[in-house]
Amino acid sequence: MSSREENAMWSIFGYLLSGLLFWGGIGYGLDKWLGTAYLTLIGLLVGISGAIYLVWLRFGRQ
Amino acid sequence: MIPRGVCVRDLLRSGAEGGGFVPPSSGDFELPPIFGDNIYTTKPIALVFLSVILISAFFIISSRKAAVLPSKLQFAGESVYTFVRNDLAKDVIGHDFLRFVPYLFTLFTFILVNNLFGIIPLLQFPTMSRVSFPYILALTVYLVFHYVGIRKQGAIKYFKEIMFMPGVPKAAYILITPLEILTFFLVRPLTLSLRLFANMFAGHLLLLVFILGGEHLLQGVIGLKLISPFAFGIGIVLTFFEFMVQCLQAYIFTLLAALYIAGALADEH
Repeated sequence: MSSREENAMWSIFGYLLSGLLFWGGIGYGLDKWLGTAYLTLIGLLVGISGAIYLVWLRFGRQ
Repeated sequence: MIPRGVCVRDLLRSGAEGGGFVPPSSGDFELPPIFGDNIYTTKPIALVFLSVILISAFFIISSRKAAVLPSKLQFAGESVYTFVRNDLAKDVIGHDFLRFVPYLFTLFTFILVNNLFGIIPLLQFPTMSRVSFPYILALTVYLVFHYVGIRKQGAIKYFKEIMFMPGVPKAAYILITPLEILTFFLVRPLTLSLRLFANMFAGHLLLLVFILGGEHLLQGVIGLKLISPFAFGIGIVLTFFEFMVQCLQAYIFTLLAALYIAGALADEH
């Protein structure tokens, strides 16, 4: 695997992870605060879409 | 060379005389101190010092009588250096790569030797399976690449480039800026260290399972004794597999360090 591909692979992994952690975490916090149960799921979905969008911006645009 | 302390495993085994097989666990990585109860004289620490001595000795001896027509030793030393210099530093960082070669070279040889300790007879413990060592190594990478980026582009421009990618609708920044910040400042160093740690930890555990399992089968009834060679056989195959993983992890760690430095140096990502 070339170093460029290696870079893309781990960057994508990192973005997906931070997407889930950040927006999923916010959803979880809101769930705890408001006593609801669906905001974690929404947060995770928002996070993963943000991450995929970011991956597209970084690597898919050329 | 390194005295083998009384392992937790030995204590467990003598405690459960004639009992069942004690499967290897994370307790097998918590080795007792070699001298007294000073927590700084454990086997991993001794191995780190040993690795530094070995690496220094190897490269000093191999380069001392440097000649145009290299000896075998000089050739070995130079090919490691050339590999890091050309395949890791030059290809990834591009021009201005030379000042990062010492750092990358140190990282690569240090991680490689400490990983290889996992399969060297008598030593047989990968230092990087204790998570603090990868943490500190990743911390140095973290400091180096942010420092380099700030020096090259200035703090404001550097952080702006990370947080606000050009050519993106303004509203989208709410969605992606937190992700960029989290990736650059938390996920990168964390994945860098945990990847190395987890690979070494899992590899060592796997070898323990098959080799200690084989030993345990050998003490069983005749039917189990016959199975035991297969466990040892798989243990040997896995040892070669571990050799590959250990080299690969040292390479990936150094490669990613070089990529992060290259990213910080580049004017736009």
